[in-house]
Amino acid sequence: MLEVENVSKSFKGRNVVEGMNLYLEKGESIGLLGPNGAGKSTTISIISSLIKPSSGDVKLNGSSVIKKPAAIRKVIGIVPQDIALYEELSAYENLLFFGQMYGMSKAGLAAKIQEVCRLVGLEDRQKDIVKTYSGGMKRRVNIAAALLHDPEILIMDEPTVGIDPQSRSYILEMIRNLNIERGMTVLYTSHYMEEVERLCDRVYIMDHGKVISSGTKEELKNILSAEETIYIDFDRVYPAMYDELQHHQDILRASETENGLKLIVPKGSRLLSRVFQITERHKAQVTNVNVSVPSLEDVFLHLTGRKLRD
Amino acid sequence: MKAIFFLQWKRLRRKPYLVLTFFVLTLLFVFFLGSNNQGSQGGQMEVNAYTGEGAQEAEAAGWIDRLNDSDSFHFELVDEEQARKDIMDGSRSLALEIRENDYRMLVAVEDQDHQLVDSYANQVFREEQRLQQAEEQTGTADLRERVQEEMNHPPLDLTITSVSGEESGFVYNASLQALFGMTLFFSMYTIMFSLSNVVDEKRQGTWDRMIVSPLRKWEVYAGQLAYCFVLGMLQIMMIFVFFEWVLGYDVNIPLGTTAVITACFTFAVVSVGMLLIGLVRTTQQLQAVIPIVVTSMAMLGGAFWPLEIVSNSFVLALSKGTPIYYGIQALHDASALGYGITGLGGPLSLLILFGVLCMGIGINLMERRS
Repeated sequence: MLEVENVSKSFKGRNVVEGMNLYLEKGESIGLLGPNGAGKSTTISIISSLIKPSSGDVKLNGSSVIKKPAAIRKVIGIVPQDIALYEELSAYENLLFFGQMYGMSKAGLAAKIQEVCRLVGLEDRQKDIVKTYSGGMKRRVNIAAALLHDPEILIMDEPTVGIDPQSRSYILEMIRNLNIERGMTVLYTSHYMEEVERLCDRVYIMDHGKVISSGTKEELKNILSAEETIYIDFDRVYPAMYDELQHHQDILRASETENGLKLIVPKGSRLLSRVFQITERHKAQVTNVNVSVPSLEDVFLHLTGRKLRD
Repeated sequence: MKAIFFLQWKRLRRKPYLVLTFFVLTLLFVFFLGSNNQGSQGGQMEVNAYTGEGAQEAEAAGWIDRLNDSDSFHFELVDEEQARKDIMDGSRSLALEIRENDYRMLVAVEDQDHQLVDSYANQVFREEQRLQQAEEQTGTADLRERVQEEMNHPPLDLTITSVSGEESGFVYNASLQALFGMTLFFSMYTIMFSLSNVVDEKRQGTWDRMIVSPLRKWEVYAGQLAYCFVLGMLQIMMIFVFFEWVLGYDVNIPLGTTAVITACFTFAVVSVGMLLIGLVRTTQQLQAVIPIVVTSMAMLGGAFWPLEIVSNSFVLALSKGTPIYYGIQALHDASALGYGITGLGGPLSLLILFGVLCMGIGINLMERRS
């Protein structure tokens, strides 16, 4: 349905996106995962025809979006990272205006506004001024504005930044429903690994403007199939012991967490007993131990040597 | 485009304070400056004069007679105490101290009135001195009468006529100067601050939402610019109508001509605003630049004082680079000389040219930046 072919974009000689390849099938939910500054928003801007790439092409059903942007503009709904609303107007007035942008008739638009307000849970407060809304409510109107014209492809650029967990959960559930129940194709960017894990069928991991890995969640996690993660929490920091564990020959990687250490070890290496011997020698008080399967966060760490939020 | 245009009005309805402030400020400034400049609606400027160092009362009265030959000024001989009191209580901004063969000016503020009166008094005193010198050198007692007689049949007769065939020259009306100058000045503020909506929309992302919609880019621009244009036009027209029809100012321009002049001027100012938006990066920068540009253009272009009293050729050359110069010129020519649209072709076409150039460069800069 949508293909991004070897797209690059540079600003003032700096490559922001480099050799980007991506495809989107009808009804899929795709995640674009990467830290801030990875090039996700630029990629989205290029796909939505907001900016032109320095090289490469974006094709919608085989025809170039760069040459003829009108085609994609009719079928996409964009949820920008910023709250792109008129704060002095009500949600209803905002939605009325953005609906008119798509040439919707007044009668049809009024009914559609009610439908999307119901969908985002703002039926009762649609006539209130946006300025008086909480961050989560503004985010919901931001999403509603992109849904008015029933887009085939919903492109969302970090739509849950800076909101409370309850609103985030509501929004994620809503997006999942749009994808599954209405068959809406979703391209979702985030630096929150758990959101992408929850919503997306396939994931593209970006860093420094490049796609460093892609595939289904399972395919990506299989990169780390030979490893497992041990989280150990301590009552306090033990620098000497941390140093010893970080340089232990059988531990692949070790990093400090809020309450202790995160150790990546070869799967089935039965290292736990040896780790406990070390902690005992340092008279360290273990408060919690957790052995887990790899997450996309671990995959990102494995691929880049950095955390997603670094 | 229509949706964008009407949306801006809806936004204005929710936040009308800035535009209302400029509207009220225009009314206040025109009202006070117009009436403070004495002799409103084409009357003479009232000037107090008093007898100063070395001059006798009779001698001063003679000077007053000579000074009152003008249609633009009316000098009245009062005592010095009265002249100072009038300046202190604000009913006069200046007074003329008549000396034996010279004069001094007592001024509260160095404004355009001061320069006008000074220029006129200087001309009268010099002429009198020349006549006195000629009398002394020739020893002719009836020189003045003979000169006056000769002037009835002068060797050279210079008549400046306008395109419409009327006699031209510097026709100064302080009230209309204030009305035209202040109205155009404050309308520039209204238009440019309204245009800052474009920068705001770019910052908050609503502009991008419009761009990625099926709307064409020119429609997005046209909706925004049409709003600023209509807002500017309405402000100017309402002020003119208010002062002419409610306060009885003798603006003396047909409504249609006023509308055409206003439209050309507003178009030029909207374009200057677009150029500024193209040059700056943030709303804060724009808000800092607007007062500087508008005030300097108004000062150079003759909104605060008539350019006829400016003698610096560099400043006069600069004034021709401002739309307000052509706006005031067109209004002045239409009001004082009775020019119609055809007669105003010069300033109006320059305003349109100005607008087209600034708009082209401004939009180009904006598009490059985005």
